[in-house]
Parts: sequence; structure tokens; C-alpha cells
Amino acid sequence: MGLHDWSLIIFTILGQMSVGVFLILGVIHTVAIRRHAVEEVERLTDRALLAIGPVLVLGFIASLGHLGSPVNAYLSILNVADSWLSREILFGALFAVSGAVFALMQWRKVGPFALRRVVALVAAALGIAFIVSMALVYMLPLQPSWNLWATPVTFLVTSLLTGTLAIGVAFVASYAYERKRDGEDSAALAALLYDSLRGLVIAAVVLVGAQLVTIPLQVAILSGGETAAAVDSAARLTSDYGIMFALRLALAFIGAAIFGLFVYRSTLGQASQRVVGGLVGGAFGLVLVGEVLGRYLFYAANVPIGV
Amino acid sequence: MTEQQMAFYVDLAACSGCKACQIACKDKNDLDVGIMWRRVVEYVGGDWTRSGDAWVSTVYAYSVTVSCLHCEDAPCATACPSSALVKRDDGVVLIDESRCIGCRYCEWSCPYGALQFDGDTGKMTKCDFCADYLDEGKDPACVASCPMRAMDYGPLDELRERYGDLAEVAPLPDPSISRPAVVFGPHPDSRAGASTSGRIGNLEEV
Ligand code: SF4
Ligand code: SF4
Repeated sequence: MGLHDWSLIIFTILGQMSVGVFLILGVIHTVAIRRHAVEEVERLTDRALLAIGPVLVLGFIASLGHLGSPVNAYLSILNVADSWLSREILFGALFAVSGAVFALMQWRKVGPFALRRVVALVAAALGIAFIVSMALVYMLPLQPSWNLWATPVTFLVTSLLTGTLAIGVAFVASYAYERKRDGEDSAALAALLYDSLRGLVIAAVVLVGAQLVTIPLQVAILSGGETAAAVDSAARLTSDYGIMFALRLALAFIGAAIFGLFVYRSTLGQASQRVVGGLVGGAFGLVLVGEVLGRYLFYAANVPIGV
Repeated sequence: MTEQQMAFYVDLAACSGCKACQIACKDKNDLDVGIMWRRVVEYVGGDWTRSGDAWVSTVYAYSVTVSCLHCEDAPCATACPSSALVKRDDGVVLIDESRCIGCRYCEWSCPYGALQFDGDTGKMTKCDFCADYLDEGKDPACVASCPMRAMDYGPLDELRERYGDLAEVAPLPDPSISRPAVVFGPHPDSRAGASTSGRIGNLEEV
């Protein structure tokens, strides 16, 4: 695998994570303001929202690495009428712009709450379109291990799973920052943090469960495929790359389920914020490495049909 | 007025696998090492089986010369985000390198490995059916070079009238994917596209 593929691994994961963070922040915001004061909620969510921008931009910069002629990159949206690659870039750019508009409005509290909601919904829809078109880029008849419903499903799961845990990390960091600024603990904010973390780890466990069902199913479908290339793709996953494949599944499970369990328990007990923060960071790190391995395998194990 | 789709014909039974077409193509287009717009793929298979006291051979081999087949559906052109790949009125698929961003997405969509990336220029390259020769009324370099006279070209409909409509030959994938503008004359041993009885014998060359 060359630089070419690494740039795609970084781009797809960061792009998906950005959308996932955006979507899940929206859900958290909506749920949390029912039980907590909006100002408190936004002390945690606003900073996480602002962190999406740099992540997405980094992803787009990485994507340039797989172009032979990056100076021509601006031409890549010319074929929106036919090409899913053009559509992916178009939706990605629109998500970035609408997300940035929303983040700015939210940060500066510009416009009424309802208007901000509408902007956020538009950005969320564009983000989903970005991920769906990203999956359709790969659903090509000659690429057996990509041309499965598992591609959009895994892309979406990656998005939500990395998003969920990234938010956990961002919340812990935001909390630490707020506490330092105030010079004291805020019971309300701490309660909010721990409530959110519990919700997040439950989501992560469900998502990892979905992943642990999808991936073996995908391998089973491939190994029963009609073409030699499909069967070879499955065999590469389970034998040539068998160790990496197993590690990828194990990391997702350990990160989301086991670390998640500890996060859950520690937020119920009297564990210090340091411990909770460390556990959340660990969960995110393990899951992220697992996702990177998974995406590496996505590119490396596929055997194309054709000559 | 749309002209007729240009196409290649290859008589697999006549082809000796000498690769003159491949070399003529490289020469005409001055292609660098590693870039091959036309490649000759050898498909080999079979075995020796015992029948009583005798060993019977089912071993076979034949060659399939393949370049861009200027597909009627041209999935490469659909895939290309910058519309750098375009189908001319006569069906010839050309690349406008000044528009290519080098994303290599077309490579994933082409069933025939016709798209060949030039690492030096960062651009994709491909067979242009010797469009300059066609416009001058000359034969494409590959067709002209074949010592067995195994190749021909012309409007797809005419080739089909003359030679039949076989387009499905192992190891090439299912022609329904892209509707390639090609007609093959069968080899006595040639297999249908989905055949898994043989394998490509010269992988390192193609
Ligand atoms: S053979 Fe490949 S490059 Fe040529 S038209 Fe068909 S898909 Fe495009
Ligand atoms: S490599 Fe060039 S010709 Fe191929 S899809 Fe990308 S921009 Fe189009």
C-alpha cells in the first residue's frame, strides 16, 4: 500500500467522523436540553462542534494526496451528472460550508434558536448525503468486496462510532477547560457530562454490535460469491490479512464494549474525572485504530474482476 | 449525425501470441516502460489425465490481445469526476489529459485494465484507437502490425455481420458490464468469460 491508499484511508475516516460528530452532537443537544439548562449543555457541545471543522479540512487535504495532479482538483466536480466521485466531493463541500455556517451561528448565538435548528438539519442532511455518495463511489460492479450493502452500512457505522467516542473525548476536554476557567467544579455540568458519557457508551456498544454482525456477514457473502475475484477477496481477508482482520474486530470490541463498560461504571461511582477521561480516551483510541485497520483492509483485500 | 461505433476484431484462432501488436502500440505512442495500452493476455489451463494405460492431455492455451475496447457504455467516462474521458461520435473513447486530476477512479471502473497511469505526469493514459491514423484513413498500428492478420477494425455493426458477435471470452469479464466494442473469432479452446478452468499464464507481463 502506498501513499495513495493511506490518503484515502485518512480522508474517508476523517470525513465520516466529522459527519458522525455533527449528527450525534445534534441528538445529544436535542435530548440534553430537555433535562439540563441550554447554557450548560452548550458549554460542552459548542467546543466539540468547532472541532469538526479542522478535522474535516484535514481529511480534504489528505484526499489531495491520492491525486496525480492535485492542481487540477477543482475540476473534480464537473461530472456531477454521472460520477459518484463528483457527487461525493460536492456533498462533502456543501456539508463543510453549511456546517461552518451553523457552527458560526451557534458559537456567536446569531439568529433565533429555531433558525439555527433548520441550518443544522440542512447540514446534517448534506452530511448524510456525503457519506452515502462516498459509499456509492465504491459500489462498482468490478470490485466485489466493495459492491455490497455492507459498504454503506460500515461507512455509516464508522461515522457514528468514531463520532460518538470523539464526542466523549471532546466533552471530557471541554469539561476540564470549563472547570479550570471557573476554578471550581460545577455539579450541574458534571452531572451533564456523566449523563452524556453514559448515553454515548451505550450508543457505542450498539454500533459495535452492528459492526460485529455486518463484517462476518460480508465475508460470508463474498466467499459464496460467483466470481473468483469475490472468493479471493474473502480469502485475503481471512488468511493473508487474517491477523489484522482479527485485531481489527478485537480492537473495536475492546474499545467500545469493554472500555465502554468501565466508563459507564465509573460515571456511576465516584471515580475522578482523570480516570473517566482516561477511559474515554482509551476507548476512542482503540476504536480509531480498529477503524483504520478496517479501512486499510477494505482497500488492501479487494481483488478486482477483470484483466 | 452520429457515426457508427468503431470496434476491433480479433481472430483468436489465428493469433499466435507473438505480441507484435503490443509492441507496435508502444512504438507508435512512444509509451514508457510499464505503460501498455495493448496487452496480450495468455489464458492457460487443462491437465494430463490417466485413462487406462494412456495419459490424455487436456492442456490448452490461447492468447487474447486486449486494449481499451471503446465500450458502448464506457463506465470509465461515467466514473471520471472531471469528465476527462469522452466518447467521440465514432465511439472512440479519448482522454483529455489536461482535465485529468489523476484520481485513478476510472481504473476501478474499467473491466479491461485499459487505463494506464503515468506516474511521471500524474495523468491517466489510454489507447486512442490511433485516432490520428483513423482520421488520415490509415489502419491502427496494432491492426497493421499483426503478422497473422488476426486483427481487424471497423464499425461494430459491420464487424458483427462479417464475424459474428462473440465478445465473451475468458479471462475477460462479462461483456454486459460495459458493452465493449469488440468481436472475437473463437479459438478451438477458448472458454466463456466466467470460466474458472484456466488462469492467466503471463500475469507478470500484463
Ligand atoms: S475498455 Fe475501459 S477504458 Fe476503454 S471504454 Fe471500456 S471502460 Fe473505458
Ligand atoms: S484518473 Fe483522470 S481520467 Fe481517470 S477518473 Fe481520475 S480524472 Fe478521470
